[in-house]
Amino acid sequence: MPGWHEATRQLQEDGKLVMLGILQEQHGDRARLFMQWKQMDWPLMVDSLNLLEVTVVPVTVAIDEHGIVRHVGLRQRDAANIGELFVDKTYPAPGDSSDGESSKTGGKEAGDGGDRRRAASRDISRLKAEAIRSGTADAWRAYAEQLVLWGGERRVSEAIDAYRSAVALDADHGYTHFRLAAASRMRYDSPEGEATDFSDAIEHWSRALEIDPNNYIWRRRIQQYGPRQAKPYPFYDWVAEARDAISAREEEPLPLVVEPAGAELTSPQREFQADASEVGEPDPGGKVTRDQGRFIEVEKVVVPEKVAPGQSVRVHLEFRPNEQTGTHWNNEARELAVWIDPPEGWQVDRRRLTVPIPRERISDEPRRVEFEVQVPAGAEKGVRLPVYAVYYVCEDIDGTCLYRRHDIPVRIEVGE
Amino acid sequence: MFDRALVAGGLLAALLLMPATTALAQGLDIPFEVGQPFPELSLPSAEDGQPLSIRDFRGKKVVLHVFASW
Repeated sequence: MPGWHEATRQLQEDGKLVMLGILQEQHGDRARLFMQWKQMDWPLMVDSLNLLEVTVVPVTVAIDEHGIVRHVGLRQRDAANIGELFVDKTYPAPGDSSDGESSKTGGKEAGDGGDRRRAASRDISRLKAEAIRSGTADAWRAYAEQLVLWGGERRVSEAIDAYRSAVALDADHGYTHFRLAAASRMRYDSPEGEATDFSDAIEHWSRALEIDPNNYIWRRRIQQYGPRQAKPYPFYDWVAEARDAISAREEEPLPLVVEPAGAELTSPQREFQADASEVGEPDPGGKVTRDQGRFIEVEKVVVPEKVAPGQSVRVHLEFRPNEQTGTHWNNEARELAVWIDPPEGWQVDRRRLTVPIPRERISDEPRRVEFEVQVPAGAEKGVRLPVYAVYYVCEDIDGTCLYRRHDIPVRIEVGE
Repeated sequence: MFDRALVAGGLLAALLLMPATTALAQGLDIPFEVGQPFPELSLPSAEDGQPLSIRDFRGKKVVLHVFASW
């Protein structure tokens, strides 16, 4: 993003382009500090509840003067020619939207921020009445969301209660669990914080991720606040450097409501804890979206090619980032994990294997694992051994980061 | 063979020249569509908590980054 800022500075100064941010983070003040550090004075919206329902970051979008999306998934390399690609183009107004603003906003929310905030407060009362009247999960969710956004700290408890009502009616709605967790964490950080708020947040973030394990935003939130790992995540290691750089410019660094701590920093804050959730099968429900080589290519070798009953074979797997898509490993998340599910009577030396990750933030080296398979003495024919890997990757520099699963069935031939 | 190389070269050139963007979004769980309005969601501004929405920038060209500082 700082690269975008530099590349478009003149267009911004000339009033030809507005750079805008929507933050997918629990604490908006941390991103403000980041932007102060990088001297980016863009407007920034905070979407702690993931209302935009993006599942990955970063995502860069070009939106024309009529509010219509013209490009999705822009990359750093597009910044240099954004004039030709987007800014210098003329886009037609949508057919009947000459007064689109009032029709789309209903007129009520137009005006300055204060007017809109007052309108939002009126909306909260209306949504509460609607939730009580209809008693649907959707209505409770809508009410809870407005409370979190516009009700301020003092109404977070009401929002938590409203989300709980929605969960009671619709227990498998991932976004409700995620937002209930975010609201619980907000209360935990406030003077009204209750001891159980933190654990409630972890419980509901975990449940959200169970429901949709592909949501990278949710996955990062549970990593951020979950137990520290042997290899902690450098979520906010940049904060110290940012403050030093801002102070060196003789500016006052913007204050943070809550200092980063625990699993948010790589420096040890307390003793490491093993995370029991990462010991078992990584994707038992098979819900993680499959990568079929777009991001990571896999080579497999079985030695020997054919094995006698009662003997064992060694399976070698190599994972290589796809150069054509510019994929690299995301070392700020978790390690590559391989899961092997042998048929009855067949044995493997380990069912779960992991590859340690290097210290660099990103890398693109091949990663290898190997394991041994013991063929039953009475085996008469070969098997197709179910194996899969899960990993964290990002596409291209400044590209989107994802969590993906790669199915790697391994054929074991049996014979003398 | 020559024709095939020409076609492949043409495809490559077309890929390089086309709005990088639409192709890259494929398969990446991105909920925005080219040609559709960007969602007019009101969210708190990080600066002062006041409501802010894409419609506040109507009449201007915007490059919007959905991101996290980590």
